Amino acid sequence: MAKDAYVPELIRPSSVDEAASELARLGDEGEPIAGATWIMLGPLYRRPTKMNFVAVSDLDELAAIEANGASATIGAAATHTTLAAAIDGGPLAVLAEAAVGTPRGIGNVATVAGNICANPYPSADLVPALLVLDGQVEIRDGGAARSTPLAELTDGSPGPGSLITAVRASGISDSSRSLYERIMVRASGEEAVAAVALAVELDGDTISDARVAFGSVEARARRCAEAEQALKGATLGDDAALAAGEAAAGALDIVGGADAPADYKRRVLPGLMKRALARVAAGKEG
Amino acid sequence: MPETVATELTLNGNELELDVPDFYPLAVVLREELGLTGTKTGCFEGRCGACTVLVDDEPVVSCIYPIALTYGKSVRTVEGLAESTGPLSPLQQNFLEKGAVQCGACTPGVLMTLTSLLERNASPSEDEIRDALAGNLCRCTGYSKIIEATVATVEAGS
Repeated sequence: MAKDAYVPELIRPSSVDEAASELARLGDEGEPIAGATWIMLGPLYRRPTKMNFVAVSDLDELAAIEANGASATIGAAATHTTLAAAIDGGPLAVLAEAAVGTPRGIGNVATVAGNICANPYPSADLVPALLVLDGQVEIRDGGAARSTPLAELTDGSPGPGSLITAVRASGISDSSRSLYERIMVRASGEEAVAAVALAVELDGDTISDARVAFGSVEARARRCAEAEQALKGATLGDDAALAAGEAAAGALDIVGGADAPADYKRRVLPGLMKRALARVAAGKEG
Repeated sequence: MPETVATELTLNGNELELDVPDFYPLAVVLREELGLTGTKTGCFEGRCGACTVLVDDEPVVSCIYPIALTYGKSVRTVEGLAESTGPLSPLQQNFLEKGAVQCGACTPGVLMTLTSLLERNASPSEDEIRDALAGNLCRCTGYSKIIEATVATVEAGS
């Protein structure tokens, strides 16, 4: 068979140590690959391509998920499907709800670390979910290990030659409530027009703490301090939700997408927050 | 340094060794290298589900799945649902009888998605069937006949 001009090659390590070592050796010439859904779309998004990829999807130690109460350690190669199955409501519900929105044909192979590294990809649903849980990214640089807040990986990359091994989420208490709410064109199976990851603590009907991050809105998700400030100390209800949505609409640098222009997204944010807070209220009554 | 090796996989029950570039999409290898044109390609972005095949029994969009990642795995395509001279699978037969096929472009992907669903869950509800189909776009049938054929398959099996 004739070789194409661009013929990257795949390296199949047998352990995390070997994968980390290979990536360190390759430096900027290589990249980890798991489900490949983002990497295969690279040319479409005019993303620079690599010549060498180190396969990590079959490394079992990267696929483990441990969840207990409000804390979880999620292996980098855990897929959307396995994550959704591993979290059964509770304080970490935001993770499962963010993971189930992906069609199974993608979600069976797309991974947590792939979602983190996909950039600029506004609809990487797991990123806002992990941000409201104060996600800490575990990284290997060859033989050395380090931990970095997800919020500080502003371009999603752990750096050339580095390997994300896991994400730890332990930023909220066992009494917190969290959820992921989307506005969709279809009922499911596509990227959201806008989405919000929300984690709140309640003291009676008062919102004592709030964490908010939007998906499918900015080029890359981040916590929205303006929306959080509007919620903290407010009474749970539509007024607080609409104020938070308006605050976000005024603060975020919104990018348009295939299904909705930026102005449309801006207009739906208050309604999105209203839906999200209504679910918190319904859960409180339930 | 580990060596890059030919991709070895099981395809519709047959062991294969493929010497193709690692990053050829699985759908392209199936259609253009192996002549298995039952798998359709649509968007080539993983959005339409027409190219859905089963990898280790789970649906995967093969248009953005590199062939090298199938190493050591089992791949099933629509050609593997029935022998060429044998009866159709119960799901295929119900698609035929209930008129669940119109232009046919989505049909192989839909069949693979639903085959996987029925293997995981022998008696899915109608909502579960619809949810499973979230990643398979059909612009002809309105899904009604597809759901009807799947429900008929479930009922016949229960």
